[in-house]
Amino acid sequence: MNETTGRGAGRPNSNARRTLLIGAAAAAGGAALIGRLWDLQIVRSGEYIGQAEANRTRQQAVSPVRGLIYDRNGMQLVRNLPIFDVWVMPGDVPEERLPDVAARLGELTGEEGGDLATAIGLGQGRPSDPIRLIRDVDRDVALIVKERTLDLPGITVRDSAKRQYFHGDVMGHLVGFTGPISAERSEEYIERGVGLDEDVGLAGVENYLQDLLRGSDGHRLIEVGALGEERREFAYTPPESGRSVYLTVEVEFQRGMHEVMARFLGERGAGVAIVTNIDSGDVLGMVSYPAFDNQLFAGGISLEDFSRLASDFRRPLINHAIAGLYPPGSTYKLVAAAGALEEKVLSPEQIVDCPGHLILPSGWIFYDWLLTGHGEVDVHRAISESCNVYFYNVSGGNPYTDLVGLGERRLAEYSRGFGFGQATGIDLPNELDGIVPDSDWKYDNLLESWVTGDTYQAAIGQGFVQATPLQLLNMYAAIGNGGTLYRPRVIDRVENSLGEVVEIPPVEELGRLPLSAANLERLRNGLLEAVQGVNGTGKQARTEVSVVAGKTGTAEYTGQLVEGGNLPSHAWFAGYAPADRPRIAFMVLIRDGGEGSAVAAPVARDIVDLYFTGTVVPMRYAPFTARRGIR
Amino acid sequence: MLDTIRRVQSGDIAVTLAALGLITAGLVTLSGISEPASGGFESQIVRQAVFVAIGVGLYIAVATIDYRILSIFAWGVYLFAMLALLLVLFFGVERFGAQRWYLFGPVQFQPSEMAKVALIIALARYFTALHEVRNSTWTFLGSIALTGVPVVLVLLEPDLGTSLVFVVIWFCMAFAAGSRILHLAIIMMLGLISAPIAWFVMRPYMRERIITFIDPTIDPLGSGYNVLQAQIAVGSGGWWGRGLGSSTQSQLEFLRVRDTDFIFAVVAEQFGFVGSVVVISLFFIIFFYALMVVVRAPNDFSRFLGAGILSMIAFESLVAIGMNIGMAPVTGITLPLMSAGGSSLVMTLLALGILVSVSLHRDVPLFHASSRAELPAGRRAGHRF
Repeated sequence: MNETTGRGAGRPNSNARRTLLIGAAAAAGGAALIGRLWDLQIVRSGEYIGQAEANRTRQQAVSPVRGLIYDRNGMQLVRNLPIFDVWVMPGDVPEERLPDVAARLGELTGEEGGDLATAIGLGQGRPSDPIRLIRDVDRDVALIVKERTLDLPGITVRDSAKRQYFHGDVMGHLVGFTGPISAERSEEYIERGVGLDEDVGLAGVENYLQDLLRGSDGHRLIEVGALGEERREFAYTPPESGRSVYLTVEVEFQRGMHEVMARFLGERGAGVAIVTNIDSGDVLGMVSYPAFDNQLFAGGISLEDFSRLASDFRRPLINHAIAGLYPPGSTYKLVAAAGALEEKVLSPEQIVDCPGHLILPSGWIFYDWLLTGHGEVDVHRAISESCNVYFYNVSGGNPYTDLVGLGERRLAEYSRGFGFGQATGIDLPNELDGIVPDSDWKYDNLLESWVTGDTYQAAIGQGFVQATPLQLLNMYAAIGNGGTLYRPRVIDRVENSLGEVVEIPPVEELGRLPLSAANLERLRNGLLEAVQGVNGTGKQARTEVSVVAGKTGTAEYTGQLVEGGNLPSHAWFAGYAPADRPRIAFMVLIRDGGEGSAVAAPVARDIVDLYFTGTVVPMRYAPFTARRGIR
Repeated sequence: MLDTIRRVQSGDIAVTLAALGLITAGLVTLSGISEPASGGFESQIVRQAVFVAIGVGLYIAVATIDYRILSIFAWGVYLFAMLALLLVLFFGVERFGAQRWYLFGPVQFQPSEMAKVALIIALARYFTALHEVRNSTWTFLGSIALTGVPVVLVLLEPDLGTSLVFVVIWFCMAFAAGSRILHLAIIMMLGLISAPIAWFVMRPYMRERIITFIDPTIDPLGSGYNVLQAQIAVGSGGWWGRGLGSSTQSQLEFLRVRDTDFIFAVVAEQFGFVGSVVVISLFFIIFFYALMVVVRAPNDFSRFLGAGILSMIAFESLVAIGMNIGMAPVTGITLPLMSAGGSSLVMTLLALGILVSVSLHRDVPLFHASSRAELPAGRRAGHRF
C-alpha cells in the first residue's frame, strides 16, 4: 500500500503535504472572506442599511387638485378634467433596455419612440427625478401601460387633470389659462416648489393667484421594487387642494357687455369696456375686445390657433383694459379743470373766450375741435362741451391775457392725484403704469425741453399722456362716488375646499381726489350737463333707465391720416350712473373709433341699459366700420 | 452494508451534517425568495427539494460503494462526459445566450457539472497510473491535454466560470500529484502572459464582468448593478441579519439572479454576519474533512480524488461567495449545495459521496466483502490500490 517506487518515493506522503497546502490556501481564502464580511456587515453596515433603505423607499410628491374659479354668484367658470399622464423615473430604466422600452411605449401611445428615448436619456443625468413623458393619454392606453410594468420598467401612469374653461372669449382675459412653464421662468417656479412638468397659470386670475389656486403638495412614502414599481405605501400626507376663487364679475353681465362690444365691433374693430361698482371698485365686467377663447390654451394650444391670435393686428392676447396704453383725450380734461379750480387759476365763473383756436407767439396753432369756437366759456360749459381752448388757457396760460396757467408740474401732480401714472393694483397680471408727462419726464425720455404746447396737449389728454382704460375708469368712479379712488377688485373672496371663506381681499382706498367738495360738485355738474345738456357732447349716452353723467373723448394719435386729413383717433366715453346717487362707473374705448360722441357714447349707453335692465337692447346704430389700421 | 455503517466515524457524520446544513440553508433561502404563485414541479423550491432527494440518494449510494471501482470506469466516465459536452453544443437548449443544458422533459441537465467530477476521476486515475513518471514533462503535458478537452468544449458554450473550475481542478491535482513546481510556474507565467491576448479574444460580456469587478461603480445601473446591489444586501445584514422574508434587497428584487449567482448575498442579508460565518464554517468542515481524507488516504488514487474534490468545492465556494462581496469577478460559478440548480447540487453530493466512500473504505481490503467478489482486480500495470 505504501509507495515504494517512483521518484516520489523518497518523500512518503509528500503528496498529502501538498494537498495540505491547498487546504491552507482554501482556509486563507475563507479567512479573507470573513474579513471582508466583517467590514461590510459590521464596520460599514450602517452605510449599506442606508443605501438599502434609499433603494426601496421613495418619496413621491402628490399634486394637489387645482382650485376652481367661480363668478360672483358661484357660477363655475372652469373645471378640472381627469386625465392620465405617462411618467418615467429615468434611473429605473436599465440602459440596455431603454430603446426597447421607448419603442414599446411609443407603439402603445402613438408617440415617436425615438423622441421618448431621447427624453428618457436626457433624464438619466438626474435618475431619481421623475419626468412627465406624455400628457393626457387615452384611458385605454393608460390602463395598458399600467398593466405592463414588467415590460416598461420605470414607466408609470399618474392621474392628473387639465382645465376646461366654460365661457370662452367672454371670460378669457379675466380667468386666463394654465400652461407649461417657460424655460426662462423655470428657476423661479422651482423655488416656489412647483414641478416643472406642472401646468401653471399663465394669464388672468389663473396667473395672478397661481399659488392659491395650486394648493400645496402632499407626500407619499412608498416602497418600490427593483423596477420602480410600487409595492406598498408607508406614509401619506394628503395634498392641500387649491383654493376656490370667486370673482367680482357676474358672468351674465360680462357676457352682455361682450355681446354689446362684439356686435358693434365685429371682425375689424377693437375696444375696451369696463364697469365697476362705484363704492368699492369691484369690477362687474371687463371686456377687452377681441378676446380669446381660453379653452384653446387648456392642454396646449395648437400652432394654428396661436399664430392666428398672435398675428391679429388687434392683439387679442393682450388685455387692453389694463395693459393697453392710450391717450385719454378729452375724458382727461377734468384733471386740468380740477387743478385750475383748486389752485385758483381762475374762478369757476370766470369766462375764457374760445375763438376756435389759440395761436402761440411762436406761431404754433392749437385748434379747438369746434373750428367755429365755443365763444365765452366757463368751467361748466368747458366740460359739457369739451372746449379745448378753455383748457389750453387754464393749463398753459394765455400769452395775450393775464391768465397764468396751472403749469405742467402742477398739472402732473393733479394727474397723479387722479390715479394716473401708476398701476391701480387690480388683481390681474401685467397691469401697466401709463405716463404722466412733465418736463423731467420729457427730458429723461426725449432729451427735449418742455414747451407750452406740451402743457396744452397734456391738458386735453393728448401728446405724451398715456393711460390704461382702467385708470380712466377709476378717475370717473372717484368723481362719481364723492372723491375716493378705490383699488379695483376682481377677486371677491377665496374659499377653501370645505367651502369656508378663507380670504376676502379688502376694499382698499388708493386715496382721495385732491379736490374740495364744492369743486368736485362743479365737475359732476359739468359731466351731467355733458350728457343731459342741449349742447352736451355725450348726448348719445342718454338713456331712459338712468340719468347718466359722463364725458366723451376723441384722442388723436399719430398714425395714418383718415378722411379729411385728420389724425386717426380713439373714441372714449367714461362716466357713472345714476348721476345723483351713482352705483356704477363705466368706460368705453373704441380703438381707432373716431369721435367719442358718435361712436363710444352709444355703446356706453347700451352698457348702462344692460346694467339697469339686465338685457342687451337692440343695436340702434350702425356697426363699426374700419377706417384705418388700429394702433 | 452493515459493515460499511459500522465503519462510519464522527468525521463522516460531521461532513454529512455540514452538507445537509448547507442544503437546508439553501432551501430556506430559496423558499424566501421564490415566487409564491407557482406550485407543483414548476415551483423552484419543489424542484430543488426533488434534486436534494436524488442527490442525497446518490450520496449514500456512492459512499457505500467502494470508491476503487471508479478507477476502472475512469476512462469510460471521462469519455462519456466529454461526449455529453460535445453534443450539448448541438442538441442543448440555449438560455441567456449560452448553450449549456440538456432538456429532459421538465428537467434540465448541465453536462459540465458532470464533467468536473469526471475530470477529477480521470486525472486521479491518470496520475496514479503514471506514478513512476509522475513529474515528467510528458506526464504533465498529458494531464493538460486531458483537461484541455473539457475546457475548450465548455468555453464554446460559452461558460467562462466552469472552464476556470476545470483549470483550477487540474492545477491543484497536478500540484498534489507531485508535478514539478517549475512546470506549474511556467504554466502560471504563460497564463499571465497570455492574459492580454485573452482579453482580445474574450467576448464583450466577459470583459465587462472583469471591468465591473475592478470598479462596479463605473456603471451602477448596468453591469455593475448586480455587484453593487449584492454588496448593499450583504452590508445591510449587520450582525444578525434582517430576518427571513424581511430582507428588502432580495425581496424587492434589487438583487437579480439571487437564486444562483447571488444566493450568498441573500443569506447574508437575511441572517447577517453570524449567518454568513456559519455558512463559511460549514464549508470549512467540508474542506477539513476532505483534507483528513487525503492525509489518511490509503493510496494515491484516493489521495488525488480527495485533492481534486477539495479543490473543486473550495474554489467554487470561495469564488461564489467572493463575487457576492466584491472579492471576485462575477463568473457565474454557483455556490455548491446552496444555489438553485439540480446538476450542481447532485454532482457536488456525488463528489462528497466519493470522499465519504474513501473514508469508509480506507481499511477495507479489496476483496474483503463477498458482495464485492465480482469486482475486477487491478489487472493492469500501474493500477495500484
